[in-house]
Amino acid sequence: MNELMTLTPGLYHWLLLTLLLFSVGLYGLLTRRNAVGVLLSTELMLNSAALNFVIFNRYMAPGFVDGSIMAIFIIAVAAAEVVVAMAIFVALLKLKKTADVTLMNELRG
Amino acid sequence: MTETITTALFYIFAASAVLLAFALVLTRRILRAAVWLMGVLFCSAAFYVLLGAEFLAGIQVLVYIGGIVVLLVFAIMLTSSFELLDDHPSALRRILGILTAGGFFAVTALALLSTKFPVKAYHGEAISDVEKIGKSLLNYGPGGYVLPFEVISVLLLAALIGGIVVARKVLVKDPEAKS
Repeated sequence: MNELMTLTPGLYHWLLLTLLLFSVGLYGLLTRRNAVGVLLSTELMLNSAALNFVIFNRYMAPGFVDGSIMAIFIIAVAAAEVVVAMAIFVALLKLKKTADVTLMNELRG
Repeated sequence: MTETITTALFYIFAASAVLLAFALVLTRRILRAAVWLMGVLFCSAAFYVLLGAEFLAGIQVLVYIGGIVVLLVFAIMLTSSFELLDDHPSALRRILGILTAGGFFAVTALALLSTKFPVKAYHGEAISDVEKIGKSLLNYGPGGYVLPFEVISVLLLAALIGGIVVARKVLVKDPEAKS
């Protein structure tokens, strides 16, 4: 707790910041009805997770690069995820004429 | 003096990132949400610089902002002819979302603050030394990342092919294409 009392950003400041960003993304993920909106919130959560890796790298293992490599992998996975998700949305729009995730309730269209 | 500037920059970028994130989830127009996401990602690039990971900041701007967000904007524009423009969640959805996200935040923050992390002293070591990253990505000894590197390459290829196949499948099913 004492670490939070100082104004200089420390490990706990950074972690609380990314936790807040992740929670906001979680809220968006749960409330959005638009499929692209859900994807945007997911990107926010992925980004704060990648940031967390770098924060732990910086504060608990300075001199190593493992956290940065994990962040690079997360960015690559996010790129792959967006490509597939976008293809699915375009296909679903052609098929069902909607982007509302609450209406997509069957696996076999 | 440098520390004061770093601290000030941290709070400025933290405040703008959180504000932009709230704008992202609360706005009704999805294209605006994409622009706010771009802002959040830019703030994250600034965080990477503040943490000493300049290489990651560059990657963030190039791949995330230049690639992923542009792709998302394409997706939004391709799909915006359908009922995409306004997206207001019902009150029940909103309350459940606030409860879940707030609960998650409270529980995780309590867990974080009651944990003592073994923080090591930082002497200005670069945590994203490009040479070190390149060497450990191609290192097949213990602690090397050559296998994950290959797996992620295959994943990207699979996503590329999968994206083409999924988007094309419906075109074949289209009755106009058959006749």
